[in-house]
Amino acid sequence: MVVLAVFMVLTAIALERAVVKRALQAEEDGLQLLIYSLLAAVDRDRSGTSLTVSADRLFEPGLVTRNSGLYALLYDRNKQAIWRSESITIGFPAIEEIGLGEWKFQTIEHQATPYFRLGFAIQWPDINDQLQRYDVVAWRNAVDYFEQLNRFRQTLWAWLIITTILLLLIMYLVTRWSLLPLKKIGLEVKAIEDQEQSGFEQNYPDEIAPLTENLNILLRREQYQRQRYRNAMDDLAHSLKTPLAVLTGLGDRETMNPEQLETLRDQTERMNQIVSYQLQKATSVSDIRITKPVDLVAVIDKLVSALEKVYQEKAVKVVRELPPRMLLRMDEGDCLEIVGNLLDNAFKYGRRCINIAGRMLDDKTTSLVIDDDGDGLADSEIEQILNRGTRLDEATEGQGIGLAVVADIVQSYNIELAFSRADSGGLRVSLIFQAV
Amino acid sequence: MRAIVIEDDIDIQRQIVERLKSEGFAVDSTDNGDEGLYLVQEYPADVAIVDLGLPKMSGLDVIKKIRDQANKIPILILTARGRWQDKVEGLDAGADDYLVKPFHHEEMMARIRVLIRRASGWSDSRIVCSPVSLDTATQRIYVDERELDLTAYEYKVLEYLMLHAGEVISKTMLTEHLYDDESDNDSNVIEVFIRRLRQKLDPEENLKPIETLRGRGYRFTLRRADQPQP
Repeated sequence: MVVLAVFMVLTAIALERAVVKRALQAEEDGLQLLIYSLLAAVDRDRSGTSLTVSADRLFEPGLVTRNSGLYALLYDRNKQAIWRSESITIGFPAIEEIGLGEWKFQTIEHQATPYFRLGFAIQWPDINDQLQRYDVVAWRNAVDYFEQLNRFRQTLWAWLIITTILLLLIMYLVTRWSLLPLKKIGLEVKAIEDQEQSGFEQNYPDEIAPLTENLNILLRREQYQRQRYRNAMDDLAHSLKTPLAVLTGLGDRETMNPEQLETLRDQTERMNQIVSYQLQKATSVSDIRITKPVDLVAVIDKLVSALEKVYQEKAVKVVRELPPRMLLRMDEGDCLEIVGNLLDNAFKYGRRCINIAGRMLDDKTTSLVIDDDGDGLADSEIEQILNRGTRLDEATEGQGIGLAVVADIVQSYNIELAFSRADSGGLRVSLIFQAV
Repeated sequence: MRAIVIEDDIDIQRQIVERLKSEGFAVDSTDNGDEGLYLVQEYPADVAIVDLGLPKMSGLDVIKKIRDQANKIPILILTARGRWQDKVEGLDAGADDYLVKPFHHEEMMARIRVLIRRASGWSDSRIVCSPVSLDTATQRIYVDERELDLTAYEYKVLEYLMLHAGEVISKTMLTEHLYDDESDNDSNVIEVFIRRLRQKLDPEENLKPIETLRGRGYRFTLRRADQPQP
């Protein structure tokens, strides 16, 4: 746009300059012609020592009509005007020195009126064949010229501005029109991100169609791969856990000697924990780019109603201080996993009351605090939880995989997790999520 | 007590069935959802143990169909998928509790007992209808401070009657909840158990804990100390 505007202005300036130059040249040529015709009418005067112009040989009517705007003067070498055209009614200043045979064209302001002046120096033999120097000067009133030039300039710039605006408008429309498919692509990408559609569905012009088609193929492949991966993990979980369940069941029988029984139990338990943890880790999504926002409040409601069923006998009172909606950009399964494990602990260790408080800290962060009224943890135990590595096989036996999974997911989503003492003396778990 | 086990892995199914039987349960088992659904509909049981990963009809669908028929049987789900998403889905569908595979059989039994008690409105493992008290966890029975020595079948009859204290329990219901196979039941055997229970619970015949309603069945008459939950 800017380039176009600059280009248009530069064109106009160049055009104007060319026109002015040509017009000036035309004026100069006209005056030159006048001087030639004047010279044709020049003759020696009666005394033979000076020159004069014979009116009958002068065919330029402008020179004989008073105040016609066209004037001519003839000067001798002393700069004395020896002849003036009949059109002259005012005085004109003498011309400064001109080289012999040289044309001198000037635009001069005289008595508040612009004039073109052309001077020419000649030599003419006198009666004694002595060459005498003379200056021929022609004046032309330039008022009309400048008026015309101004009119030309106004027209030029007016048209230029109109054309530029029109061109810019057309360019804008053309750009908008040609970028329309890209805007559509942008909207579709957002819809894909929000999982409202699975690929690009609109019709696109031939230039862009290959791009969207290829992106569709990529998306389909990616979705297929991810699905396949998850299915494989799921199948693996099922096929590994079923034999583990059989082994565990075997360990529950009392037909073996206690030592063997102990070993069998320990080893199956360990295998189970490792398998569970690695599978949880593998199936956790933690790819927030193509996930639909999840409502934390809905997740909490779901979990509380499920846990109230499981811990029905404890009749734990759950106090919720939550806004109507808390949107997070994370996979729903991962969100359920984190909050589910933490709430499960609260139900397990709490006595009568669990407090769940959530609020938006600002536009970007959401906090969730879960308090139970159980025995809580000693400071050293809290430290132990936090310092524990996320690799389960390094963890001490007997610790559930729940918190290890939580720690892992929390880390992959950049969520802040902290444990402290609740006002009721129980455990307080605080989470700070990045909101949508 | 009668339990229905729907589990497609034969080894696990066998282990669960053996364990339940050793705890005095009458057990029906199947490896597929269709038959499981049929069993739940046809044989009134006290608890159903449903594996979520069943072939053909999934465990989740089985649970939904059971609940669609307004059947309130307590359901314990077994799942290999330990994610909360799966647990919540199962509980949402109508299950009452879950166990993630692999699990210990003690834990399974504890949960089953809780579910059965809960279904009858008892919130504690001790069922008390003064002066009789029965502990479902330890399977011990006291009348005041005196501990009773009951056979496995006597215990099963008393537990069932006490769980449904105040309700009329027909002989058919009792046999169905006590025996695996209906063909070998004999209503006379129930009468024998009831007579023996009356002697053991109330040797002086001043409590009269079990009432016979002619042609209808039996009723445990002692009032619950613990009011059932609504």
